Amino acid sequence: MRLHEYEGMDIFEAFGIPVPNREVARTVDEVLKIAEKTGYPAILKSQVLVGGRGLAGGIRTAETPAECRTTAKALFETDIKGLPVQEIMVCKKAAIEREFYLGITIDGYSGKPVVVASIEGGVHIEKTAGTSPDKIASFKIDPKFGFYPYQALALLRRAGFPAKPLTACADILVRLYKIFQQYEAMIVEINPLAVLADGSLAAVDAVLEIDDSALFRVKKNLSLSPEGRIGNRLERKGKEIGVTYVDLDGDIGLISSGAGLGMASMDIIGHGMKPANFLETGGGITADLLYKCMDLILMKPLRAIFINIYGGINPIHEGAKGIVRYIQEHGVTLPIVAKALGNHQEETWEILKSGGIHVVTEAATEKAVDRLAALLNTFSPMGRP
Amino acid sequence: MSILLNDDTRVIVQGITGKIGRVQTKWMLEYGTKIVGGVTPGKGGNTVEGLPVFNYVDDAVKETGANASVFFVPAAFVLDAFLETIDAGIDFIVIVPEHIPVHDVIKMRDYADEKGVTVMGPTTPGILVPGKGKMGIMPASLFAPGRVGIISRSGTLSYEFAGILSEKKIGQSTVVGMGADPVVLCNLPRILAMFENDPDTDAVIMVGEVGGEQEEKAAEFISVHMKKPVASYIAGRFSPQGKKMGHAGAIVRGSAGTYEGKTRALREAGVTVLESPIHVHAWAEKYKLR
Repeated sequence: MRLHEYEGMDIFEAFGIPVPNREVARTVDEVLKIAEKTGYPAILKSQVLVGGRGLAGGIRTAETPAECRTTAKALFETDIKGLPVQEIMVCKKAAIEREFYLGITIDGYSGKPVVVASIEGGVHIEKTAGTSPDKIASFKIDPKFGFYPYQALALLRRAGFPAKPLTACADILVRLYKIFQQYEAMIVEINPLAVLADGSLAAVDAVLEIDDSALFRVKKNLSLSPEGRIGNRLERKGKEIGVTYVDLDGDIGLISSGAGLGMASMDIIGHGMKPANFLETGGGITADLLYKCMDLILMKPLRAIFINIYGGINPIHEGAKGIVRYIQEHGVTLPIVAKALGNHQEETWEILKSGGIHVVTEAATEKAVDRLAALLNTFSPMGRP
Repeated sequence: MSILLNDDTRVIVQGITGKIGRVQTKWMLEYGTKIVGGVTPGKGGNTVEGLPVFNYVDDAVKETGANASVFFVPAAFVLDAFLETIDAGIDFIVIVPEHIPVHDVIKMRDYADEKGVTVMGPTTPGILVPGKGKMGIMPASLFAPGRVGIISRSGTLSYEFAGILSEKKIGQSTVVGMGADPVVLCNLPRILAMFENDPDTDAVIMVGEVGGEQEEKAAEFISVHMKKPVASYIAGRFSPQGKKMGHAGAIVRGSAGTYEGKTRALREAGVTVLESPIHVHAWAEKYKLR
C-alpha cells in the first residue's frame, strides 16, 4: 500500500530527515491560507495515489495569490489519471541547486534490502541508470548486520557524491533504512533529495510503500486507515472480499485461481478478445467467495464470462455451488465458459452444467478459450497445437 | 528416485489441527506420503488421522525421526515457527501459506541460507512426486508418473502444465512449486541443478512470470550447467504493467523483469520458449518424452 506524499513527509520528519514546510489543503481558501504562511512562489502538489502525476499536470507553481487561487480551483476540478484531486499539499518552491536520488527496496533474488543512490536525481533517474551507470551505486544490506553510516558513506562515495553534503546524505540514508524497517516497506525513496541555495538538504518528495501483508502490524503507526485508499471502486470492492482485482477495459469477465494462471488466461484471451478485468481468488475457494466474485465482475457490462480455477486448498465443488447460486438468483444469461479441475472435479462439472455453464474438462486453457471464441463467433488463433 | 521428496522423507505437518491442516494431512496420506506426526502449540497429546500431535518441533523430531516439514501455520506466526523448525534439525521445509510479511521472509531466507536448509515457498502448493507422495496441496488427479520435471513460480500453472502432459500420457518425475512471493526461500538455479542431476528426469519445464529476475538468473545457469532440454513459459505477456511505485527496482534491474527481457535471455541460453502453455505438447513430442 502506497502512502500519500504528505504522510511520507510526516514520517520522514519524525525520523529526522529534513523536509520542506508544508500543509495539506482540502479547499481553495485553505490553499491560499497555507501559501500565505509558507510563501511564494508556491508549489501545489495534488495528493493522488498514481505514478507520474507531475507529467499529468498534477503539480503546479503559483507566483502570486491570484494565480494560486486560479490554479488551486483548476486542480480541485481536475482528474489525474481518473482520480479526483481532493487534497493539495502546499509548500514554498525551493531554489534547488542540485538533485540527488536515494532509495531502498527489496532485491527479490538475493532476498536482501538494497540501497540505491545517484548524484543525478529527478524525473529521468531511470534513464540515467541506462546511460550513465557510473553515476549510480547500490549496496545490499545484510539484514542481520544492519546498515551503518560507514557503509552509507562508502556507497555514496562510490556514486560520486561531492565531499560537502556527503556526511549529511549518509545520515539521511541511515534514517531512511530505519523507516524501511519500522514501516515494513517495499520501497522508500527520496527523489529528489535537493541541495538548496544555502547548501542545506531537503527531501522534496517522499515515496513510501508498505507491504500489504504487514499492515496488521504497521497500521497502528499510520495516521490514515488503510481502507478507502484504492482509487477504483471495483478494485476497492475486490480488496473488501479478499481477492486481487485489477480493472481493465475489455468485455470478457475473468475469474481465475492463482496469479500465474490469471495472467496466462489474460495472455490467451488477449489474442482475439479483451479481458474486462483480472481477478485472482487466492488459495481458499469457497461458495461464498465465488458468489461475491461473480457479483464483483458483473458490476460492469460484460459480453461473456471466463472462469479458470483449480481446487487445491479446498474441494472445488463448493466454489461451483456459489457460482451457480449467483446465476440463478440474478438470472444471468451471458455466455459463461468454465474450466475447473482438482479435487471433486466430476461433481463440480455437474453443478456448473446445472447453471447453464459451458464446461471444458481438458487441462489446456487454450481449449476453453476456443470454446468461448466459438460461442461469441470470434476468431481465436490459439489452441491449435 | 525424484528430487527433494523420496522414500527416506519423513514428514511432519505444522498446523495439523487446523481445518486446512487436517484435510490436507488426510489427502497427503491417501497419496502415499510418509507422514509421521504433526505440531500445533497447545494441542500436544492429541491425534489427527491417527498421527501424534506435539507442542514443539524438537519433540516431534525426537519421537518420530522426522526430517521434513510442511507448514499450514497462519501467516503471522510463520517466522517464529520456521526458526524453531530449523533449530530442531529439519532440513527440508515447504511453506504453503500466503500473505507472510516480506520482512519476515527476508529473515527466514537469511537463516535458511546460513543453516543450509532447503525451503520451498512461501505461497507454494508444495511438491509432488507422481504416484509416490506430496507435501502441500497439489490436487493429485492432475499428475501422472513419468520423466519430465516441472518447476513453477505459479502454483496453478504447474497444475495446468502437468494436466496438459498427463492427458497426452506424458508423466512427470517431480513437480515443484517454488513460491510466488517477491522473495522466495530457494531460487530457480538450485532446483534446476537438482533436476539436471536426477537420473529419473529427462527434461525440465520451467514456468515463470513477468517481474523479478529469477528467469534471467536461471538462463545464466542453464547455458553453463544444463544438458537436459528445458522449455519455459512466461506468464504475463499482456498483463498491464504493475502499478509503478518508485524507481529503485527499475534502476537496479534494468531490462530484467520484462517479458521481452526474460524470453530473450532464455532463448540465448538454448531454452525452448513456449508462446502458450498448450505448445508444451509439441515440445514433449519433439524430445520423445514419456
